[in-house]
Amino acid sequence: MKILKSIWKFLKGFGLFWQDFLVGDSPELALGVLIILGVAYLLRNHGIWDVVAITALALILMVVTVWRKTREHR
Amino acid sequence: MLSGSTIVLIITVMAASAVEAVEALTIILASGITHGWRSTWEGAIVAFFALAAVVGVLGTTIIHHVDIDVLRVIVGTLLLIFGMQWLTKAILRSSGFKAMHDEAKIFEKDVEELKKEKHIRHGKRDSIAFVVSFKGVFLEGMEVVMIVISFGLSNGNDYSRLKYAVLGAAVAIAVIAVIGAIVAKPLAKVPENTLKLGVGIILVSFGMFWMGEGAGVKWPMSDVFILILAAIIAATTFGLIGYFKRLHNRMQHEVQVL
Repeated sequence: MKILKSIWKFLKGFGLFWQDFLVGDSPELALGVLIILGVAYLLRNHGIWDVVAITALALILMVVTVWRKTREHR
Repeated sequence: MLSGSTIVLIITVMAASAVEAVEALTIILASGITHGWRSTWEGAIVAFFALAAVVGVLGTTIIHHVDIDVLRVIVGTLLLIFGMQWLTKAILRSSGFKAMHDEAKIFEKDVEELKKEKHIRHGKRDSIAFVVSFKGVFLEGMEVVMIVISFGLSNGNDYSRLKYAVLGAAVAIAVIAVIGAIVAKPLAKVPENTLKLGVGIILVSFGMFWMGEGAGVKWPMSDVFILILAAIIAATTFGLIGYFKRLHNRMQHEVQVL
């Protein structure tokens, strides 16, 4: 039982480390990037629209994230 | 002869490594000055080898076992997330919404906190110095490791880019370490925010490109389109800095009037 608790503690710490490392204080960024990836897969055979969509979504994500962060500091 | 994208890769990895090395140096100096150098160095060296092991194990495992398109999606996604994080922080700092990263101030704060610890053992093994130094170097270095692996493995089953990425990181870290050892104080004059801004733009551009390519997107003009992406991201970045700088100045003015 003690070993299981230690393993659980280690796994939890490991998970939290990676969560903090990849997501940190900007969960919308990680989520936004995953949405862009999904859109890229969906539109990959639709001519130029995949390129336009990825670029536009990345810019929107950037603007929204900065806008949200500035509101936190106002 | 190095290709254009390899040169950009080396410069980006060097800039990113320099920024993180400057931050790690501040922690090492604070720990060494307050708790002695012996355990501080031991912690830093163990962390450095741990990071090198991560690059070696993760790098070779990925090269041999992951399909090139899957690899590009993973690499692109990671670079896009890191790049966006670096870029948004740099925009907030440049526009005044977030305080600039001041190594001298951080150093003073770290020293004050470490002085409060009761068990200081100068010249002998000091567990606090070891842990602080290890954590500082390992955590600051982990982001560099991810950038090195991502850039280094972008060509799939080819070690040459990984070698250049590791070399770029090693040179930058060595330069900062030598300068730090000579001046023996935090390197507050390194333009960290400007470096983060430049690195952020490159990470986002390469991240978008590789993520899209891995997902099956056919970029017009192939690799050359990375330059167009970089120009679009840079223009948006400087547009945002300009807009939010004006907004910040207006808010400051309104506060003064009140």
